[in-house]
Amino acid sequence: MNKEPICWDTLKKDKEERLAAAEPLTEQGGKFIPAKNTKKLLEAVIRPSDRVNLEGNNQKQADFLAEKLCQVNKSKIHDLHMVQSSMTLDSHLKLFRKGIARKADFSFSGPQAGAIADMIMGNEIELGDIHTYLELFGRYFIDLMPRVSLIAAYEADRNGNLYTGFNTEDTPTIVEATHFKQGIVVAQVNKISDELPRVDIPGEWVDFIVEAPRPFYVEPLFTRDPALITDCQILRAMMAIKGIYAEYGVQTLNHGIGFDTAAIELLLPTYGEELGLKGKICTSFALNPHPTLIPAIEEGWVKNIHCFGGEVGMEEYIRARSDVFFVGHDGSLRSNRAFSQMAGHYACDMFVGGTLQIDPYGNSSTATAKRVSGFGGAPNMGCDARGRRHCSDAWLKCGEGSPTTTAATGGMPRGRKLVVQLQETFREKMAPGFVEELDAWKLKENAGLAIPPVMIYGDDVTHIVTEEGIAYLDACGSLKERTAAIRAVAGYTKVGLAADPAQTKQLRSRGIVRTPEDLGIDVSRANRELLAAKNVRDLVEWSDGLYHPPAKFRNW
Amino acid sequence: MSEKKMARSFYEASARERALGLVDPGTFTEFLGPRDRMVSPHLPVLGEAVEFDDGIVTGIGKLGKRPVFVISQEGRFNGGSVGEVSGAKMVGTFRAALAAYKELKQRHTEDFDEVRPVIAVSFETGGVRLHEANAGLLAHAEVMDQIQDAKGKVPVVALIGSKVGCFGGMGFVAAAMDVVIMSIRGRLGLTGPEAIEQEMGKEEFDAADKSLVYRTTGGEHKYILGDCNVLVEDSLDAFREALAVAAALPYEELASWNRIGSPEKVREQIELVKLAAELNPADSRDVWRYFGNERADEYQDMTTEEFLAAAKRREGAVGR
Repeated sequence: MNKEPICWDTLKKDKEERLAAAEPLTEQGGKFIPAKNTKKLLEAVIRPSDRVNLEGNNQKQADFLAEKLCQVNKSKIHDLHMVQSSMTLDSHLKLFRKGIARKADFSFSGPQAGAIADMIMGNEIELGDIHTYLELFGRYFIDLMPRVSLIAAYEADRNGNLYTGFNTEDTPTIVEATHFKQGIVVAQVNKISDELPRVDIPGEWVDFIVEAPRPFYVEPLFTRDPALITDCQILRAMMAIKGIYAEYGVQTLNHGIGFDTAAIELLLPTYGEELGLKGKICTSFALNPHPTLIPAIEEGWVKNIHCFGGEVGMEEYIRARSDVFFVGHDGSLRSNRAFSQMAGHYACDMFVGGTLQIDPYGNSSTATAKRVSGFGGAPNMGCDARGRRHCSDAWLKCGEGSPTTTAATGGMPRGRKLVVQLQETFREKMAPGFVEELDAWKLKENAGLAIPPVMIYGDDVTHIVTEEGIAYLDACGSLKERTAAIRAVAGYTKVGLAADPAQTKQLRSRGIVRTPEDLGIDVSRANRELLAAKNVRDLVEWSDGLYHPPAKFRNW
Repeated sequence: MSEKKMARSFYEASARERALGLVDPGTFTEFLGPRDRMVSPHLPVLGEAVEFDDGIVTGIGKLGKRPVFVISQEGRFNGGSVGEVSGAKMVGTFRAALAAYKELKQRHTEDFDEVRPVIAVSFETGGVRLHEANAGLLAHAEVMDQIQDAKGKVPVVALIGSKVGCFGGMGFVAAAMDVVIMSIRGRLGLTGPEAIEQEMGKEEFDAADKSLVYRTTGGEHKYILGDCNVLVEDSLDAFREALAVAAALPYEELASWNRIGSPEKVREQIELVKLAAELNPADSRDVWRYFGNERADEYQDMTTEEFLAAAKRREGAVGR
């Protein structure tokens, strides 16, 4: 039988060709590329229709390489398929406007949410899918392997080893998926040194290194100024601590980003202390290094934190608190988004976060009709971990109370993750926090999405906390009861006004809905006096001067 | 950390908490309080929400025997801006203080110094309320007029240490008062940082650089220059104590604390403008160093106590 010989190493050969094309641009044939040759390098190693990863997330950004990619000759490089965590920089969108890139698979768009929606509607971006971080990382290894990845690091040594330190974040995942599938890794570094503080990425996994003319951009996204925390947020924080954290004895958890969770962090050393909860709750976190957690750490509440990424200004503090954080032998933090996402999903008993809209089924979304904001990591934390098998008291207690979930498995004992949503009934500009139909449905139509983007699905949510009360959805016996409990805490929104007062009364008597009064909370105490730190300067004092807030938070 | 937290912060306090906290406990009576519902006639026309006190608390209380006429602005309502009603409440309070002066002067021939009234204005404002700009501007002019009428009779004291600071036309008004008391968290100026950035560009003034904003408009800078007479800790108690001291000063001494009000004072201000042109400082710290503050770089991280011990002021800066 005549058989055509099959070539089994086309990827390897293709890579070799590309490396050879880039060789004349290097300094003496090594990995190092002078910054002025960056555009030519990208033209040499990237081919039309390639899948390209541009590193960037809600923290660090390979912004120099992004800008250089915008400058490539469009006749040489076009129709790229961008696979990347975030599309948050102007340069990320410019690639599409210029026709260099065509298709996008991403996770988070933050400030560019409106522009991206417009571009999808105007056919400037062909949308692949919008992911959570972890599932996008998963796809890097299955069906979205990057051919070329453009990454960011603090330093490189002469052998090409990289130090990504504090902001290691997505880098190991991207490099692993690219390098071991014969892809090409290009790194921008802030400087080239003779000796690195430590090696985060081995040099043999990195093909080219460019010393960028300025340090990569980092957004201090997780810094919340305590000065902006409202009394209403403090009330919800008190309710959450007493009615959920203490009630279930939650030790392991993840806090979403926002002022509600910042308020909880700042109430641990005051209100939490008063309730005698130290050591009983909040001992271990999957969390970015939130500056608002400093007082609780200093007071000995928190024993362990694994971080998704870094936070500007927390470097020295973390170095001095190495028992609490994960640090290298050099003393600086090693963050890792993939591992922290995994920890948040499987190893935490609770997720607590906020949202924009909740519907009567408990589905919540941060999408508005004209903004494609993406998901980030929240859905990986804000869902029950169906594959979880290890037990903890909090997990078991939440499972025991869930009649609807246990009924489906014939009463088989099983725990459940606490997924808590903190919500103000009316948000800024009197936008209702509860709606009969999520704006995500309108966005689905407007942007031609396959399904409405839901951040956390109703069947995953176990508790909703508003200033009106806590709805213990885990304890509801039927879907009808769930909706009644949600309406009962939805206040004067249309969703709340549709509540049946008799049923609310009955839910309260069964403890499925509890008001601040039912929880024994004196509402008049819910004010800023309870905050362990009232402003950023207080946080600096708490840290013994080890926390160095960025300029925009130095309010003094 | 915890001990200091016990003192109630002036910065954190609402206008009403400040009004009550600046006088002896139990002595405050509010003029035209929320129950009177004297609201802005202009905001509803524009579809904007009103406050029953129009964002200002006015009234009278006592410090010892001395009546204190209090005006306290609320930054959380329209940025503490001055409209027709809030402006009229300010002016009315000045008038009440001057009427009280007249009467007390007649009744207390022996011990007038102990009962001489004082006007205390706790600023938290960006100036004119743009929704009712004409009425607001008029109110600014009327208050300026009242300050002149009060000269030599009733001391007028500015207290600046709230979130919004004291900006816009009210920055002029504060500067015209007899005494300016600030905390390091207080900010005083004319054009707000964002407006400067918008007009002159980020290169000239980066409003997002909060540290820069503070060292240009904040209490430390104003104290070194003498635009602020007394710098106090951020607590209601500290402001009240400083107010009591200022209220008891003999009028001749008070006059020397003024920034304007005599040809010599005006000449001094002109010299300062000249100096600024010559120095052409790139940063407030250059100015601080010029006045002998070698540790200028450390000032912003110091506590009030440490700063007061270290700071050297411009010659001509008066106060305690």
